[in-house]
Order: sequence, then structure tokens, then C-alpha cells
Amino acid sequence: MATQNVKLPDVGEGVTEGELVRWLVKPGDTVKADQPVVELMTDKATVEVPTPYPGIVKELKFKEGDVIPIETVILILETAGESAKATPASASPPPPQTKPAPPAGATTIATAPTPSGNGMDVYPPVANANVLATPATRRLARESGVDLNQIAGSGLAGRVTRDDVIGAKGPGSTSNSPAAKAPMLQVPKPGFVSSPGAAEERVALRGVRKKIAENMQMAKHVIPHFTLVEEACVDELVKVRTQAKAAAEKYGVKITYLPFVIKALIATAREFTMFNASMDDQAGEVVYKKYFNVAFAADTPNGLMVPVIKNADFKTILQISKEIQQLAGKAREGKLALDDMKGATITVTNIGSVGGLYATPIINHPEVAILGMYKIYDKPVWTGQEFKRAQYMNFSITCDHRLIDGAVAANFMKAFVARIENPSQLMLDMI
Amino acid sequence: MSDKFDVCVIGSGPGGYVAAIRSAQLGKKTCIVERDALGGVCLNVGCIPSKAMITAGHFYHRMQHDGPTMGFEIPADIKVDMAKLQSWKQSVCQKMSGGVAQLLKGNTVTIIMGEATFKDAKTLTVKTNNGTQTIQASNFVIATGSRPIDIPGFVVDEKLVLTSTGALELSEKIKRLVIIGGGYIGLEIGSYMAKFGTQVTVVEAAPALLNGVADPDCVQVVARRLKKNGIEVLLNTKAKGFKKSKDGLDVSVEVGGKETVLSTDRILMTVGRRPNSDQMGLKSIGLEIDAKGFVKTNAQRKTNVPGIFAIGDITCQPMLAHKASHEGVLVAEVIAGHNRVYDAKSVPAVIFVDPEIASAGLMESECKARGFNDLKIGKFPFAANGRAVSMMETEGFVKIIADARTHVVLGVHICGPEASNLISEAALAIEMGARLEDVALTIHPHPTLGETMMEAAEAALGHAIHIIQRPLTTARPGTAPARPNT
Repeated sequence: MATQNVKLPDVGEGVTEGELVRWLVKPGDTVKADQPVVELMTDKATVEVPTPYPGIVKELKFKEGDVIPIETVILILETAGESAKATPASASPPPPQTKPAPPAGATTIATAPTPSGNGMDVYPPVANANVLATPATRRLARESGVDLNQIAGSGLAGRVTRDDVIGAKGPGSTSNSPAAKAPMLQVPKPGFVSSPGAAEERVALRGVRKKIAENMQMAKHVIPHFTLVEEACVDELVKVRTQAKAAAEKYGVKITYLPFVIKALIATAREFTMFNASMDDQAGEVVYKKYFNVAFAADTPNGLMVPVIKNADFKTILQISKEIQQLAGKAREGKLALDDMKGATITVTNIGSVGGLYATPIINHPEVAILGMYKIYDKPVWTGQEFKRAQYMNFSITCDHRLIDGAVAANFMKAFVARIENPSQLMLDMI
Repeated sequence: MSDKFDVCVIGSGPGGYVAAIRSAQLGKKTCIVERDALGGVCLNVGCIPSKAMITAGHFYHRMQHDGPTMGFEIPADIKVDMAKLQSWKQSVCQKMSGGVAQLLKGNTVTIIMGEATFKDAKTLTVKTNNGTQTIQASNFVIATGSRPIDIPGFVVDEKLVLTSTGALELSEKIKRLVIIGGGYIGLEIGSYMAKFGTQVTVVEAAPALLNGVADPDCVQVVARRLKKNGIEVLLNTKAKGFKKSKDGLDVSVEVGGKETVLSTDRILMTVGRRPNSDQMGLKSIGLEIDAKGFVKTNAQRKTNVPGIFAIGDITCQPMLAHKASHEGVLVAEVIAGHNRVYDAKSVPAVIFVDPEIASAGLMESECKARGFNDLKIGKFPFAANGRAVSMMETEGFVKIIADARTHVVLGVHICGPEASNLISEAALAIEMGARLEDVALTIHPHPTLGETMMEAAEAALGHAIHIIQRPLTTARPGTAPARPNT
């Protein structure tokens, strides 16, 4: 028998670490090659990491809640050693195996030294000589997995403070988005004192839930929100969509209202450029984006996921529908790649598919607006002579008031509703 | 007999015994192997015994020179019983070494006395008085230190040609001593021996004493004092060899191409120390060792062989006990699964010459090399400090170097009384990233030597109280620089 180290693989572009959500195996379990062994949370996605080797689980190197850098050994397997099957076909030569001590008298060239540099890197890297941080802060950073070389200290003369380290550990730290450079948050962390004997259960906040909590807290903390609500008559849109639905069935695509709303949103945001923008708080600048990556909120068993339709302005309604279908499917199965959730410029949340008259959504920072769409309902409308049945849909636009004023939002909504109510006008805007 | 341990530490010096104790504290089954005496060079033939001798020498010197001024009627020739002095010094070492034994036992560390050799990367054989013992351990910590360097022409016998070990054990007064090597060990021993009446000559190949290891201004103060105490210093001088003469030894030295001869009774070799990486079969287990003999390690003091760590003198300069102890704690915690690295900003260094030199952080030249071109430097003399005057020890100064842009303290160099005890404040300031104002605005008790640190910081800011600084800057005292890097 030999042992085999299983490392945390590179799980996606730019990801350097992940939080261990839970082990799917325990010591003593027999695992097959490619069997998922651990659930890991990176950025927004929770991924299952498989072992490249078969064997018997000998040792788990981390516990739930630990933040693990990639390329770190996460578990040790006892393998059949010589068996050719033990080596995955795809993997590069397996790392040197630790062999049991040879019998007395034998020389030990067998335990070939690993070349220097292999496994000699430490994470986070050692703070360079010019970083100002007290020894206690340096240790906190190390234990929190924060690289001091990457932090602009907020203290006197650029000193990295304890709060800087705690802030860097929180939201935004793993992306290169402007949010990452936003000023460090100092959010109070009130406790909850249980009364003795109360029928309560305590569950650790982790995984996707923890990330959602962090993102929401940061968005609410940084952005002064306001929400404007309007209704739109969708008689025409319902007709168009019904026809389109039949046409699209030939391609095996199911057309919903969401792609129409996305198209109307993009067309309106072209007029009102401040809706497709971000605030760079650190630079004190507004970033206007000339591209439209539209995110849509998807409810999944794991919690809220927000996949992104990239360059939605260059895609047809059919293409967008197809992409929504694919992304929503992946979201439900928990298989969204990190890349599927990156780079959004504006978000639509479709609460109407569940219910509710209207809501006050939270903006997906660093975006500055989120559009809410709600259920379609029948309503009697007075034409002057009689009541007529009409179908209506409620919309909300939630804005970052630092950039967008109430009157601007009202005008935006007016222009948007005009497009929803007259799909023919929407046609004019289509690329 | 074979034993299995979680952690096996080899060498019980200030690196090894600290690593062993911390490992045991962290719940690891730990053993420590020592071939000589617990506590290593430091406690037995290095730091501690030399300090005992230096203290005695200083005491003796002050009785003779300062005593009469204070009104003591001291006989011109105070008798010294060198044998008794030796046994007192030995009792100090035994007390310290015994303390280490007690601490190890109290922490349930298994002590194994014997010479260790690696059989393979997981097995150690130890030759003890009762035969050979085999030790298996998941982790080994190599803390086997260093030893004095020899140079051609001088074979150490510890009778006529001594190392520091032999010199510290002399139980009679030596009339003449030639010290080869003007580094800190040679100067420390030479200084106290001169105080006991030995005629000391220091031979140094470089153009300066303490070359590159101490602030040049500090060295100047010490050089002056060495001369005053009758020590002859020959710079740019190479020792070539020696032969016996009818009344002692003749050492041949070369200065500027010309050979001359120095007559002496003993020779002390202090040209430096080399890591003990050529022992224990370290090469046979595949450890990477650099050209200077240091075992290569990463920031966690891991070697290239999994499960083997190295700390202290054997890993890198500076070869100082307190650096080794810091690394000892570090590796014990790394082995126990904590994320630790060696990231200390400075290793303070102390030279127990007269007056003492102590430093933390960068020297002026190092600041420049690191790109700190604009410096604020404050210097405050002990002559202006009440406590120093009342102690009759007024030579020397405190020098503080800061980045002029941010006022962050980069280095502190002290030459003067109790410099060794004063430097810790500077080390803390540097680790904390303190600015000159932080030091200057901390109330320092009066009358103490420590006030000099505060005054030096004030001096760097341009407004020390107890020295005259002109012209006074127009800025309000204590104001920050125009544009600190915030």
C-alpha cells in the first residue's frame, strides 16, 4: 500500500482559494477515481471537488469552514500503490509518494528529495519588508488567508490595521472588480443571545448562504437604495410572446417574458447610460459601460444564484431564451461555473414567476440598478364608456441614489414601460 | 531499541530546546537529542559564560577606574582569583543548563544524550553511552548549530591556539594574547581579558572592526575605548602562521605586503563560525545545502526533504540565539498544523564590548540600498542623559533612523551603557511600524537611560530638549510631515 496526496485543483479562472463547506467522505471510506470528495465554496458557486485517484480515505487535512488555497493537499488516500489504475490517465505524473521506511540497512535514495520550490511556497506569501503591520496583525492575516502585500493599509503611513485584514477577508476580496477596491467595511457584528432552554437550533452560516449574506450586507451598506414602481399594460406583449413561443418551439426553445424584458431594459439603458454603470469609490469616478451583460436572479435549492448573459445586446431573443434555459438549469443543479456569474452590468429579478405584488430588491454591487418584474394579472380598465379587461404587469426599478435621481428613474421607467406596452417600438431598437 | 515520536529535535541549544518545549506544549510526543550539554553553545560555551566573564571584567575595571572618583579607597592592585572566577562562571552555566533540563522534563520531553546520525529521512540512530538507539519520528528539527572556523596555519588545540570555548575556560591570567579576527566574539573576549590585565592585540584582515555588522559611528566609539583600555588593533592585517618561541609564540602577520612578527602567549581564533551541516549524514538524506554550508529552508523553515525542518545557525545568518528561539517556536507550530512563517522585520543584535553596541533594523547604508533615499536621523548622546552621568558611563549615543517621508522608524543603533537592554524598545517600535512621533510622544521615565531613545526620536524630528538643535524648524513641534504617505 502507498499513500497518495489529493490536492485542491485549480477550480476556475482567477480563483485562489475556497471555503470548505462539507466533506462528502470520511476516513475509512473507499473512493473511486473522479468521485466527489468535498464540497467547496468559491466566490458564489459551490463546487464538488472530485479525487483524481481511487483509494481509501486515510486523513482529511482540513475541517469545515477552513479557507483552503488551491494546490494544497486536502486529503490523503491509501492507494493500491503499484496498480496502474491508481494513476489517472489525464493527470501529469503523480506527486512523489511517501514510501514506508525501507528495511534496516538499505540506503534511502528511494525517498528522493523533492526539488526545491515544490511544496515550498507558503500561502499567504510572506509580507515584504516594506509592509507596515504589527506582528499580531501579520499573524491574523496569515490565519485569515489574507495576503498583506495586496492590501492598501488604511492606517497612518499606509499601515495595515487589524480592521483592514478583517475587511479584506470579507466580500469583494477575491474579485478584481471595482468592488474589491471599495473602502473596507466596518460592519458591527451583533450577537444573538438565546434564552436558556429555548427551542432553537444553531447552524453555521457557510457556503452560498454566507456569501449571499456578505454580498447583501455590503450592497446595503455601500449603496443608498431607492425603488420606484410602475405598472405596464402587457396585452400586446402577451400576444407577441404567444406567437413567438409557437415559432420557437421548432428550435426546441421555450420563450418566456424575461428575454423581452431584457431587450426593453437594454434599449432603455442605452438612453439612460447611468443605469449601466458602476461607481469606483476609491478613484471617485463613475464607470459607464458600453457593453451589456445582463444578470438574472435564479432561485435554486442552494439559494439565490445570479447567472449572467454576456453581451446580451448582441443576442437575439431566441439566443437569450436558450441561454436563460441553460444557465437556469445549471444553477438548479449547482453546476454554474464561476465565469457564468461574473461581469454583470445590470440585473433583472423575476419575482413574478413566484408571486408578490412588488418587492424592493437589493442591487447587485458593483452595479447601480436592478429591475424587478412581477406577475401578470387581469385588471378592469375604464375606457371612457366601459370597463375592459386588460392584462397588467408590475415593474420596479431600484437605483443607487448616489448616481441616479428619483426623476431620472421615473423617466427611465416611463421609457421602459413604453417599450413593454408597444412591442413594435421595441422592434425598432433591436440590433 | 526503537522509539517513535511525533517530533524529534536534534540539538538542545536555544533553537532546539525551545522547539521541543513548544512541540510538547502543543501535545506532540517529543524527544530532544544532545551530544554534549543541554543548552548548547549558548548556555555552556557561548553567550552565558562570556557574559559572566564580561560582567566580572567590567566590575573589576570600574572598581579600579571609577571607584576612586566616587571616594572608594581601592588598592592599586586588586587581587583576582582566576580559578574561583572560573568556578563561579561555571556555576552560572550549570544553573542555566539545569534549568533547561528541568523545563524539558516538566514538559515531558524525552531527553536522549548522544551523537545522532540520520539513517534515512525518517530514522535517526543515536550513539549513547548505553549503545545505539534508533529513533523514528514523523518530523525532525535540525538545530545543530555552528562551530568556529579554522584558518590555514592555525590548528586549534585549545591549549595554545584557542577558540572562544578555550578562552572562556582559562583559569589563569594570560600575559599576552593575539586575537585573530576583529568580529564581535573576538572583541568581547579581548575586552574583558584586557581588563584583567592581558596585553591584547587584535589582528583583522578587513579595513574596519565589526566590518559590516555594526553602525560605523558605534564602532568608532568602541575603537576609541579599546585603545584607551590598552588593546592594540591591527587592521588590513593578515595572520599567516605561528611558531613556538623561547618565551611563547611568534605569530607572523602581513601588513601591506610586509611581514612582521607578534610575540604572544596564546592565540585566540575568532574569524567566524560555520554551520554544522557537514555532520549527521545530512547530505546522505538529500538535504539541499548551499555553498556556504547553510541548509536551505523556506519561510516555514521546511527543508526540501518532507518532514525535516531546520532552525538556527545551520539555516542562515544572523547566527544569533534569539533568532533560533523564534524559529524554534515557529517550526513547532508549523508542525502542529498552524500557518506560520518567519516574517520578523528585524533580529536585534547586541555586541557586549565596552561600551555595548546594540542595533535593530537597518543601518544607514542598508536603508539606501532598500530605496529609502530621504532619511531623518536623530542622534542623542548619553553625556546629556542624567542617569548615564550618575552612572559614570557617558560614552556613546542612541541613533534613530527613519524614512523622512513617513517618519516610520527603520533602524536604531545604540552604543553606550546597557545598550543591550535598551534595544528591545527599538525592536518593538520597528515590528509595530512605529513612527518617530510614536517614540517621542511615549512618556519615558526619568531618570533612566531609556530617555535617550525618546530624545533621539525628538532629535530626528528636529527638536530634542536636552541638546541644542539649530536652526529650529518653523514647523510646530510634533506636527506630521507635509505629506505623509497615508
